Amino acid sequence: MASSTDTTRFAQFKLVLLGESAVGKSSIVHRFVKNTFDNFRESTIGAAFLTQTITLPESKTTIKFEIWDTAGQERYKSLAPMYYRNAHAALCVYDITNPSSFTKAQDWIKELKKQAPEGIVICLVGNKLDLSEERQVDEQEVLQYVQELNHQENNVLWAECSAKSGEGVLDIFNKIGRALPVEEVINGASSRARQVGSRKPGVDLARQAHSPQNSGCC
Amino acid sequence: MHQRSESNYSNNYSLLDMYKEDSEDEQNTLNTSKLDSINQQTTKEILNGDFDRYGFKKVSVHSSITNETYNDWFKEYAEFLKERKTKWVMLLKSNGLQVDSEKTIPSRFPPKSDKVKKLIRKGIPGEWRGSAWFFYAGGYEKLNKHVGVYDKIVRDTKNLQNKDTDVIERDLNRTFPDNIYFNGSLRSNQDGTPGKQKPQSQEEEKNSSPMIRSLRRVLVAFAHYQPQIGYCQSLNFLAGLLLLFMSEERSFWLLVILTERIIPKVHSKNLEGVHTDQGVLMLCIKEYIPSLWSILGKTFEGEVLSEDKILTKLPPVTLVTSSWFMSVFVGVLPIESVLRIWDILWYEGSKTIFRFALTLCKTCLESEEFQNAKPRKKNTELEQVELFQFMQSFPKTLINPNVLVDNCFKKIGGYGYGSISQDEINKCREFVAKQRQKLKNKSNSVINPEMNAQERRLLTGDDDIHDVYGFNRSIMSGVAWNNNISNKMKKRFSRKASKSSLV
Repeated sequence: MASSTDTTRFAQFKLVLLGESAVGKSSIVHRFVKNTFDNFRESTIGAAFLTQTITLPESKTTIKFEIWDTAGQERYKSLAPMYYRNAHAALCVYDITNPSSFTKAQDWIKELKKQAPEGIVICLVGNKLDLSEERQVDEQEVLQYVQELNHQENNVLWAECSAKSGEGVLDIFNKIGRALPVEEVINGASSRARQVGSRKPGVDLARQAHSPQNSGCC
Repeated sequence: MHQRSESNYSNNYSLLDMYKEDSEDEQNTLNTSKLDSINQQTTKEILNGDFDRYGFKKVSVHSSITNETYNDWFKEYAEFLKERKTKWVMLLKSNGLQVDSEKTIPSRFPPKSDKVKKLIRKGIPGEWRGSAWFFYAGGYEKLNKHVGVYDKIVRDTKNLQNKDTDVIERDLNRTFPDNIYFNGSLRSNQDGTPGKQKPQSQEEEKNSSPMIRSLRRVLVAFAHYQPQIGYCQSLNFLAGLLLLFMSEERSFWLLVILTERIIPKVHSKNLEGVHTDQGVLMLCIKEYIPSLWSILGKTFEGEVLSEDKILTKLPPVTLVTSSWFMSVFVGVLPIESVLRIWDILWYEGSKTIFRFALTLCKTCLESEEFQNAKPRKKNTELEQVELFQFMQSFPKTLINPNVLVDNCFKKIGGYGYGSISQDEINKCREFVAKQRQKLKNKSNSVINPEMNAQERRLLTGDDDIHDVYGFNRSIMSGVAWNNNISNKMKKRFSRKASKSSLV
């Protein structure tokens, strides 16, 4: 490995959130970026942009996520390609108490497979784990779906979280960070990275990691 | 401590009913104000409390400011408001319209004139706003043609359940959660009234809020009345803001007027109007703020968008600016600024949105923060996204609406966007819509919708072909009218400059 040992490596990736309205996309982002939660968050109109940095200690890598939070309603889909164009990662979010939102998340995965850059890291996310007593999306069912997908060589990650309690939120981004082609990107020889959009993600080998708010430690 | 008393709020709710009666049974004036007018007492209450006069938290998601900043601004602004009210009372009296007491809300206003326009641009008194908006937007004409229609729709849609009502239900509690009329739990938290029964859950409390119930009725009725639109997220904020100033029925009709006449198709099923208006806005930015266009008029790959590509590949900044149109600046600017723009909007029409969108862009561009955040190197996607974040957060700090309005309209010391006429906007909209239609037809004839992305890419040699922006033909070349605008602007500026130098 060519990377130096005393500097933290730095890479930046674009991540989009997709999913039915009111499943908690913005809440997940706000938990991740600001570590806050509001019971009543205003509906997102259009898009919201935020950034947050994590560090993966084992590979001494700092990853800056450039987060595109989107409006959930069906008709906003006409804007969606603009979001996931060039995306390196996508969270397809559903609400574990709402089965139709899970169907919708599956639709998004299908759409991404068809339209998004090859090699995009997709994570299926079940939110509202704090309402597990009202759960209507069975974990086994989701697991089976994900296994079937991955059987066809589609690497889809899956996680459940609660933006409200914070449970599992950071794990999702760490998981994605580990699945992203950081090595390839930093070594600059990645065909995959080139496929992920027609640009290269920002890489700055010399840049020192500047105290990220979240440590990537699990 | 929250100073405004409980009775104020319950009074407010009964006033909602009063308004309703009024609209069914037309009167000349409304007897009481829904909003308190600004005087020493109300100013003091606002300065000491947590809420503004409309029930929004002073420190809210709509504005990135502190309580101190708010108070510093409001102390001065309250004086300005009192002065404006006096001017309005004089205007009405000089037009033979009765204003008996401080509590009177006129239902008729003077006919449109330069004088009225000037007054409107400086702000309609808050307590008269609903009535003036309705009057100047042509609400009475609409209402008189449709007597009883709203009530009938409400009756017919009472138990309606469909896709639209599902989304509406999900959005009700996500509409102005930091406004005391929409989120009842704010009131119980703030009052600290002893012995007051705690609601069983926040959810229930909110559902029982009369404002939420009104919002539900208006949105469901609207979706039913305008099936080509149905429900579109952002209508909740538009209807919500209207409801703070007028009855349900009047809110409903103004929503109809807004979506039919002012921003047509912006909320339609395919959001076609969003794409059209963003195309127009981009052409305007290119024309009026070329230095900003040189930063924003690029794709993420850094490809400069030539004139013939603006509409085929709307620049990514439109992901920020489209919400400015969809919610007409609600949630984009601090509420008082939104209201001042709305004052002008109902009187002057859709050009207002473009004028202020340009004003916001230019204000962003000229701010120190933007200059610091400006792409330093190659203007890549990463740097653009930082700019987007800025363009998203910066408007929320613009607490003083007078600065915003002056910037927009003043020709000297401002941007002079008042010279962008409705006619020009209409022409440009027509042009963009036509181009988009043409491009759509062309791409439809070439691209078979059954093809997958790979096939499309092979066929077109371009990988950003998709349903909406998937046109890669160079049809639009040369925008003659746009140059006309700039010549006209130049002439006006020089004329104005020579005039003022004579003085």
